[in-house]
Amino acid sequence: MKTKTKARLKSPWVLHYDCGSCNGCDIEILAALTPKFDAERFGIVNIGDPKQADLLVVTGPANRRNHRVLKRLYDQMPDPKVVMAVGTCASTGGIFHNCPNTLGGIDKVIPVDVYVPGCAARPEQIIDGVVLALQKLSEMSEKEDD
Amino acid sequence: MNENYIVNIVLPVLLTLGAPVVGGLLMGVDRKITARMQSRVGPPLIQPFYDAIKLWNKRPVIASRLQPVLAFSYLGFSLLAFGLLMFRQDLLVIVFTTALADTCLITASLNSKSPYSYLGGRRELLSVLAYEPVLIMAFLSIYMVTGSFLVDEVLAYRMPLLIQLPAVLIALVLVLIVEMKKSPFDVSASGHAHQELVRGVYTEFSGYTMAMLELGHWVKVTLVLSIVTLFWAPNLLIGAALSLAAFFIVLVVDNSYPRLTWRSMIKTTWGVGFILILANIVGLNLMGVI
Amino acid sequence: MTAIVLGASSLGLLYGERFIMTPPPLCQTAVLLMDFLLLGYFLYVGIKKRNPLVMGLTVLQALPMAYFELMGWGHHTEPVIVVDRLSVLLGIIINIVGPLVCIYAISYMGEHEDHLGLSKSRQGRFFLFMLLLLGAMNGLVVSNSVYWLYFFWEVTTLCCYELIRHDATEQAEGNAQKALWMSLVGGVAFVAAMYVGHYAADSIAMDRLLVAQPTSLLLIGFGLMALAAFTKSAQFPFHSWLLGAMVAPTPVSALLHSSTMVNAGVYLILRIAPAIRGTSLSWAIALIGAFTFMLTALLAISQRVSKGILAYSTIGNLGLMILCAGINTPLSYAAALTLLLFHSLSKGILFMGAGIVENRLNSRLIDDWEGLLGKLPFTTMTMLVGMVGMFLPPFGMLLGKWVAMDAVASSPTLEGVPLILLMVIGSAATTLFWAKWLGHLTILPIRERHSDPEVLLAPYKLSLMTLLGINVLMSVGVAFAINNLVVPILVGSYGAALTTPGLGVNTGVGTFLVIPLWAAFIIVPLIGIYLARWKGGSIETPYLAGENIGEDGLSFRTIADSESEFKVAGMFLDDVIVEDKVARFGVAVGALLVLLMFVLAVI
Repeated sequence: MKTKTKARLKSPWVLHYDCGSCNGCDIEILAALTPKFDAERFGIVNIGDPKQADLLVVTGPANRRNHRVLKRLYDQMPDPKVVMAVGTCASTGGIFHNCPNTLGGIDKVIPVDVYVPGCAARPEQIIDGVVLALQKLSEMSEKEDD
Repeated sequence: MNENYIVNIVLPVLLTLGAPVVGGLLMGVDRKITARMQSRVGPPLIQPFYDAIKLWNKRPVIASRLQPVLAFSYLGFSLLAFGLLMFRQDLLVIVFTTALADTCLITASLNSKSPYSYLGGRRELLSVLAYEPVLIMAFLSIYMVTGSFLVDEVLAYRMPLLIQLPAVLIALVLVLIVEMKKSPFDVSASGHAHQELVRGVYTEFSGYTMAMLELGHWVKVTLVLSIVTLFWAPNLLIGAALSLAAFFIVLVVDNSYPRLTWRSMIKTTWGVGFILILANIVGLNLMGVI
Repeated sequence: MTAIVLGASSLGLLYGERFIMTPPPLCQTAVLLMDFLLLGYFLYVGIKKRNPLVMGLTVLQALPMAYFELMGWGHHTEPVIVVDRLSVLLGIIINIVGPLVCIYAISYMGEHEDHLGLSKSRQGRFFLFMLLLLGAMNGLVVSNSVYWLYFFWEVTTLCCYELIRHDATEQAEGNAQKALWMSLVGGVAFVAAMYVGHYAADSIAMDRLLVAQPTSLLLIGFGLMALAAFTKSAQFPFHSWLLGAMVAPTPVSALLHSSTMVNAGVYLILRIAPAIRGTSLSWAIALIGAFTFMLTALLAISQRVSKGILAYSTIGNLGLMILCAGINTPLSYAAALTLLLFHSLSKGILFMGAGIVENRLNSRLIDDWEGLLGKLPFTTMTMLVGMVGMFLPPFGMLLGKWVAMDAVASSPTLEGVPLILLMVIGSAATTLFWAKWLGHLTILPIRERHSDPEVLLAPYKLSLMTLLGINVLMSVGVAFAINNLVVPILVGSYGAALTTPGLGVNTGVGTFLVIPLWAAFIIVPLIGIYLARWKGGSIETPYLAGENIGEDGLSFRTIADSESEFKVAGMFLDDVIVEDKVARFGVAVGALLVLLMFVLAVI
């Protein structure tokens, strides 16, 4: 594996955006960063700035108010980047799927690479999702060189 | 003759080029120790290098045409300051050169029209205001003991500075906290509070510009730690141990104190720093040493 | 024309060792007559404007002067004119920067009068006083007779008064009168110094006073001269007139701040410094300088008006020079001279640039100057270099400050420590107020917006580029400047303190590697530019929590989807540094320090 790809896999910086979830998944995401799960041992840092992030982690369904924010944040992240929908709401709209103000899952707005289902998704699952996302990132990185 | 050439030119150049490597490793140690203090495993030691390489290879995005030039100047002038130290030059000129580097960083963050970055830049200015006078005062006290601002002469001084200037070293630890952007003085980059300022002074940097800032930051941290090393000049190994101890103290402080506002930061660094240094100077004067 | 002649003559004098002249008695009488005419005019101004301070201070000078003349004490002063290396350095500053400012003023006054919509030009009057001021300054620095010195001193006061009230607004009148009475305080101190000189040393020739046995009476005389210098150089407690002077057209400020007027005070202190070496009077002078430096640097942070920042910075730098002169070691004396030289060069650029910008934008508020680099690239670039030249290596100003620090550090510990403390705080605050302004000027809009190209009249370009060129050349070749201009002055009274090995500067306790620093200063940004070209990158909108509207990155969506444009505002900390309060504190402490100075002179 190339140094470049390896560095990318070893250092996924996360931007966490809450589209309007019930905060269940958000708490689980934060739990992943706590000593018990210690996501930082994989180099994961919750950076909070789209311009420096590699991994967009979204919770909650896309709706008519927040879809443009979601899109803008996604656009502001420089390539290569991957998107992870955490929780049932982010994946499909969940219990909000019929509400008049919701658009559904976030894949209605931006392309999603990894879906992590669950209500709420568990920290192990989330970290597992990150690992999957990294595989995707690795493929992207290899493809970029061709 | 030949040996002189190696000691006076080749070695300093190598050390200067090695500064980012040492700095990066120190940052790795920092993250590892911090993780251990929070009973986590923590990232690998070379994590900062992964971060930097990754950033360097991201798709380039800039906030203004001047930004990358200034970001590189920050790195370049930090290296210049470190090089001056390795070439055993004037301590005051080293401080002024770091001020030049800081000005590049601040200008880069102010010129990208962005509220968070602008606020961060302003706070970075206040950090400079907080540490610069203390650092210069510390150098003045070194001068008063050794009779020279030249690092060369300081190294040749027969007695370890720590014995004569213990309080000055404590003041330098305060400077180190500000310089490393650690809690309680991490007002500008808000390492522990991105909900407040996002990434503060770094907000508008991404990809290769951010990588250069990271490198510049490592160099500057190494610079201040190297200055701490001077406090045991007769045996630089003990000096290095001393600076590592200072580094460790900074990490302990970082993990045990909440962030202060800029006002408290300036009050603390100036109040505590000046009192310590002045007390030390006056004490030495009363004892008839200087 | 004038510029060339004056410049050439001062360069010619550079190679003469010491030039002495005593003009015929007729000239003496002429000076005497003009002096009383001048005082008469001040009295007239005082009565006309009903300003009791001006009246009182004028009378306080006129009566003792008349008595002095009646007794015929001033007549046997010889030589009247002495040109030594210090005069030459001052002459060079005055006659290079001064004429450039006048050239600049040719363009400026045209635009200025268009703005005011004057039907009849008042430029004749303006240039008369500008050139008179230059002439008086030249006279001032070569006078050996305190009497002549006093006369030229009062002529500069007159010019200053007339130039500040040039626009004839109410504010201009008020500030001009303030400047007048403060300068007159200096005049009174001067007359008193003359009496002291007569009684203590039986002479009013500078060169005799300087070598006379320093009795405490004579020290009081020097203290009085220092007081006069504080009024001219706008030190606390007399700082406010220089701030008021910014109501005048910009060339006036450029001239007052950089090459004339305020330098007269520093010159006088540098002149008397060798005579008061090692006295507590000297230390008190240093303390006033250090205090002014520290406080004005803090006050400059709180300024929202461009000229306010520049004015406080001038006062501060003069304070720094006076601090150096007061420490009175060979090294500190060299530092004062270096600072004097480079301050004139840098401050001239900044004022001229500020004047051009003000005429274009119709605003003095630096918040309105945001992103000037995109709008007026030429002027802004010049100003940016001027600003960097004020506080960062490798420019001459910083070198001067560095020598000053070395000098303060090597003075005796317990006397030096309070001065050092004031100095390092002032120095850090200086970095802050320059850097924030500098950053604000460079804000660039994300999308290129069409704007009118910058059109500058030839005199503007000529004066700015020449001054900038001289500043950079002098900074690079600072070793030559020091060897030819500074060291010869030192050799006479102190002995050389600076050496210049390998084109660097060595103070004996430290070295400043001028050439490597300059090389790095040029190469590093060049590599940066190359890197930026190589890596490139698209310019993207700033982070606004994802609520940006459009692609220009200036507005965002806020409550109820309404649009809002964000603004970035400078940092002035004026809730912490309240100008009125701090300035009042400064005046009070300054007055106390002046008192302390006289007490120390007596002891």
